[in-house]
Amino acid sequence: MSAHGLSGPGLRLDRLPRRRRINHVMESLAWLAAAVAVAILGVVVWSIARKGSSELNLDLLTKPPIPFSLTNAPQGLSNAFAGTLVIVGLATAMALPVGILVAVYLNEFATPAIRTSVGLVLDVLAGVPAIVIGIFVFVLLVEGSGQSALKGAFALAILMLPFVARTTIEVLALVPNSLREASLGLGIPHWRTTLSIVLPRAVGGILTGTVLAVARVAGETAPLLFTSSLAGTQTSWNPTHALQTVPVAIFELSESADPKDHARAWAAGFILLLFILFAGLTARWLATRNARKVAGR
Amino acid sequence: MSAADVNAGPARRPFTGRRVRFGDVSLQVVAGAAALGATVLVGLIVWKLVDGSHLALSKFGLGFVTRVAWNPVIGHELYGAGSFIFGTVITSLFALLLAAPLAIGVALFLTELAPRTLRAPVTALVETLAAVPSVLLGLWGILVLGPALRTHVEPWLHSALGFIPLFGPPSTAGASIFTAIVVLAIMILPIVSSISRELFLGVPSELKEGALALGTTRWEMVRGVVFPYARGGVVAALILGLGRALGEAIAVTQVIGGGVFIHWSLFSGGDTLGSKIAESYQGASTNLQSSALIYLGLILLVLSLAANIAAQWIVRKVARKHGVTRGGHA
Amino acid sequence: MPRIGTSIRIVSAFAAAALLAVVVAGTADAQAARHATTLSGAGSTFVAPLVSQWIAPIGAAYGIELQYSAIGSGGGVAAITSRTVDFGASDAPLTPDQFSACKGCVQIPWALGATSVMYNLPGVKNLLHMDGPTLAKIFSGQIAKWNDPAIAKLNKGVSLPSTAITIAHRSDNSGTTFNLTDYLSSVSKSWATRYGRGVAVGWPVGVGGKGSSGVAGIVSSTPGAIGYADVAYALQSHLKYFAMKNNSGKFTTPGSRGILAAASSDQKPAADNSLSIVNPPKKYGNAYPISTFTYVIAPLQSSKAADLKHFLFWAVTKGQTGPYTAKLRFVPLPKSVLVVAEKAIAKIHS
Repeated sequence: MSAHGLSGPGLRLDRLPRRRRINHVMESLAWLAAAVAVAILGVVVWSIARKGSSELNLDLLTKPPIPFSLTNAPQGLSNAFAGTLVIVGLATAMALPVGILVAVYLNEFATPAIRTSVGLVLDVLAGVPAIVIGIFVFVLLVEGSGQSALKGAFALAILMLPFVARTTIEVLALVPNSLREASLGLGIPHWRTTLSIVLPRAVGGILTGTVLAVARVAGETAPLLFTSSLAGTQTSWNPTHALQTVPVAIFELSESADPKDHARAWAAGFILLLFILFAGLTARWLATRNARKVAGR
Repeated sequence: MSAADVNAGPARRPFTGRRVRFGDVSLQVVAGAAALGATVLVGLIVWKLVDGSHLALSKFGLGFVTRVAWNPVIGHELYGAGSFIFGTVITSLFALLLAAPLAIGVALFLTELAPRTLRAPVTALVETLAAVPSVLLGLWGILVLGPALRTHVEPWLHSALGFIPLFGPPSTAGASIFTAIVVLAIMILPIVSSISRELFLGVPSELKEGALALGTTRWEMVRGVVFPYARGGVVAALILGLGRALGEAIAVTQVIGGGVFIHWSLFSGGDTLGSKIAESYQGASTNLQSSALIYLGLILLVLSLAANIAAQWIVRKVARKHGVTRGGHA
Repeated sequence: MPRIGTSIRIVSAFAAAALLAVVVAGTADAQAARHATTLSGAGSTFVAPLVSQWIAPIGAAYGIELQYSAIGSGGGVAAITSRTVDFGASDAPLTPDQFSACKGCVQIPWALGATSVMYNLPGVKNLLHMDGPTLAKIFSGQIAKWNDPAIAKLNKGVSLPSTAITIAHRSDNSGTTFNLTDYLSSVSKSWATRYGRGVAVGWPVGVGGKGSSGVAGIVSSTPGAIGYADVAYALQSHLKYFAMKNNSGKFTTPGSRGILAAASSDQKPAADNSLSIVNPPKKYGNAYPISTFTYVIAPLQSSKAADLKHFLFWAVTKGQTGPYTAKLRFVPLPKSVLVVAEKAIAKIHS
């Protein structure tokens, strides 16, 4: 290990006051950086929380929007919340099995060469910007045949896949090999071992990864702009239609001139943020419980 | 399953050790198909993008990448990515410049300087910000940040530093490249900060304590032990943050103001690759225009992949150097 | 079987139940949807306020669920061309190339309105005077301040501040842009040669907003801003707008009188059913010079032909009446245009 400036004349005691001064300056800079960062982040979070919570009302979840309303009839974003539930739910249903299967293949069957290359593929997939995924799914599925919630869910599933796969790979690797060998030694076939013995051990971690992936895509706007944005105002749960979603609704409302639209956007955004934070906390809680259980064994 | 089943195969076949069962093969095939599917997906993304931009590729070729133009007037259509690549590079680099010292400062603060009581709240704050969806940050940018920058910060910067062409006349509508830079910096900060913090925490304490025992000041210890040890990882974190900024389209399109030409003033409007696509894609009126937009997406994909692969490569190099296998997290 | 923690069981059960509920609701909804038709349309933000008023009555009259996404005229044309929607809406008439790309589409005028040029100037009155050539200079950046002599000359007696003018234009492909640039091209030769008319032009100055509401948003939040959008947006956002000088020298406003007078300048739709009423000649003394018809682009052959025809017939007749149009400053279609529209709608078949 090369430690710069730690050897030689630098440490002489007569240089000490200068070194102490430099140290003090640097520590102050670090405090300053932290203070500035905390101030900025604090302002962002506080203003979002304040604006969002002041506009919260139940109408947001129960009433549909009334575009260009000439009266002051109560309106909300019920179609967007329903659509988000449907699309995120479908995306999870698509990404979860595929992600688990990919992880199972890499962990249980693949040669090290395949493991590195598919691992690289997953990393590359994770680095594709969401808007590029949106263009891709548009060109692949939407062009010529129309938008739908299913196609939007497919786009989100592509975003979720690397997360789910990577977390599952990590927890599968944590399952001790002795368990597998014992099972095989008992004559249980490989496939049964994987499905009935290895996977259940990893369920906690898989769930954590899924919840994190859900938190990640619940706020995604770009892929949905291309796949599920031309939607109606009435609340619908039909996945074959394009459904409005909360992020897209916020995006559209943010460009409006009407302060009432802004109010609904803040409130919906606040609810979305709370949901994402809640999902993150759930994932952390699951992870610690899992770790405690594994360690406690 | 009983032990008897193990030998229940054809009696004449000797025990070879590995029985090929239907279940095993099925699982391997299905799981392998999933893995293959993921690989094919990446190839499919590249292929569909190249295919979709074919019209623009054949009409404009590689000159598209440097041309500064975006004229959708039918009959005189001319497109080029020059100003958007410029916008992407400027916004991402300046955002990184703004966020990096703050993020590393926060990480150092949390690992070395913070009293125990401050550590949890500050960490929670950074992670809360990481959870804010980009569209919500964009909303905040339009309604809170933009007006604040326009009224207070930009005029001050222009009067103090107006001799630098970067700080031209303040924007009148609050939407500008500068606003986009600040929003992107706020987005990158949590990523770089979290990864840096993990890296600084991962420096073996014996090394740090050894240096301190030799009589170094804390700053000298950080400079001599922590930074060299974590340097590769921090660079990777910066590149990952850069990749995030490159790919961000939604928050940027909400606050950047729009514009086709390259202006040196940060307070003018502009567009990045992502923001141009987000803004124009739904309304592309000709096939050539859609194709040009997909071409922009292709360029964006190449840039993001380059950043990501660079980060991954550095992570692997660093992992090898430290002899540690850490799962790289984006 | 190893123990799966109770907490994990509970979370998984909850998630599975939620997923199941969503799937059941989705299937049930899909079943219900088969009995009610949805007509989805996209396009012009100009006509969006009017179309939104039609949603409820159409649902009541025919059981059709009307969905309209205001993504701009360019987007509407693109959407109907790729048949992503059942009908498109555009204020800019289709070019021959767009007609052939659309493969069997018909263009039908279905509303008549005007583009207002809105401004935000605190302390100054509404309905400032403005004329075409000056407006062209403003939009091309040659006039950059409110107290410019050209503006002052038109508004003698009004004290104009030295605020800088911020132009708010459309960032997306917009029929309203087409309407405005059509007008600017006809009143200013230099605008016609340098920027021309189109759903998008190379704006030399200004900030881009998405959709008419985006432009209205920029104008309402930026003192000194000038933008353009259908007059309904100016009314809804409480924005001031100019009284424009027409060719007879009168300063007219985007109201029913001005629009109707402009519409009388072109009573005969062309072969593709388009009309041009921008900058009418002198004899239409009360005309507002930036008025426009707006069109629905429908496929001649559609699986939803019956519902589409119900909707469109209603739109060009009942949908033009006072309760829907008056507050938004849309004007009922003139008789001659109505006849052509109905003939075109009748051509739609399954």
